[in-house]
Amino acid sequence: MATIRATKLSEFLAGCRDEAPLQLGVVPFGMLYAIAALAVGMPAWLAQVSSALVFAGSAQLAIVQMLSAAAGALPIGLTAGLLNLRHVLYSASVAEYVRHLPRRWRLLLAYLLTDEAYAVAILRYQRQASTSPAAIQDARSHQPLPDLRHWYFLGCGFTLWACWQLSTAAGLIFGARIPSDWDIDFAVPLTFLALLTLLLRERASQAAAMAAGLGVLAFAALPYKLGLVAAILMGLLVGFGVAKHKRSRS
Amino acid sequence: MSTASMILLLMVVGGATYLFRYSMIGLFANRNLPTWLKEMCSYIAPASFAALTVSALFIHGGEVSFALDAPKPWAALIAAVVAWRTGSVFATIGVGMASMYLLKLLF
Repeated sequence: MATIRATKLSEFLAGCRDEAPLQLGVVPFGMLYAIAALAVGMPAWLAQVSSALVFAGSAQLAIVQMLSAAAGALPIGLTAGLLNLRHVLYSASVAEYVRHLPRRWRLLLAYLLTDEAYAVAILRYQRQASTSPAAIQDARSHQPLPDLRHWYFLGCGFTLWACWQLSTAAGLIFGARIPSDWDIDFAVPLTFLALLTLLLRERASQAAAMAAGLGVLAFAALPYKLGLVAAILMGLLVGFGVAKHKRSRS
Repeated sequence: MSTASMILLLMVVGGATYLFRYSMIGLFANRNLPTWLKEMCSYIAPASFAALTVSALFIHGGEVSFALDAPKPWAALIAAVVAWRTGSVFATIGVGMASMYLLKLLF
């Protein structure tokens, strides 16, 4: 039993360790989100609670930007919902590995299933067998150890969660001192612009982005910023269309 | 938006996000995802990011405005070049913000 407990701890710590380098990218985003949230008039406590409740960087930034444009709740909710839909894919991808776990574990790991935690944890699941070095040692006593990789997943998720909450808090403390005429919230569209450029390798993605960008201009007059949702949906359809066209030609 | 509506909105978004994350783990553990959903998810990010960027730069109060003397679209253009050349999010933000401040002094 002592071996199992030691293995749990070492799996958890290995998860923390492998997740740590990604925090270089996460921490500035958390701070930026918090600073921008203060700039659009979100109460500091709510900005912090939101980091625990939504726990998704791009959706939180989108919410803040749309609040600053005085968008209605429905378009904001739809946009944030669409942005987080990709988590269904992550969920499907890890489902087979966590199926054997008790429900409380699955509920907890689902909460921690973010882009960065998924990216690290799935590598552990796919690349390495369920037996860790400690388990191989223990195999000499002919006592197979159970699959403890969910402790690794927990380590990844916990590290990301703690950094996201702390960087939000740091941004709130720091952001309260930044004068509003510095236009610091301009960093939010710049962030989306930078992330967008990284995503434009495929023809279909380029078409989706182009169509959505033009759609925003075409649907600008729709109330409550619903034009933004219409533009995103148009981008999806065009992306689909281009990919299908490309497939049928090749 | 009032604080009460913000709280409600964030609760709904948070709840939906959690459901997305739990969906396949807890609810349909044995089902395969349809390919259209996988494909759709790969276009959501580029479409949303493009829409959010264009909206922040050119839509003001529900109206399209291409003002040539506004610093932000030009700063974004410079930032876009940096993003394209370097692929670095932080260089993009840094150069974009610095350009915006410089252009503000010029215009």
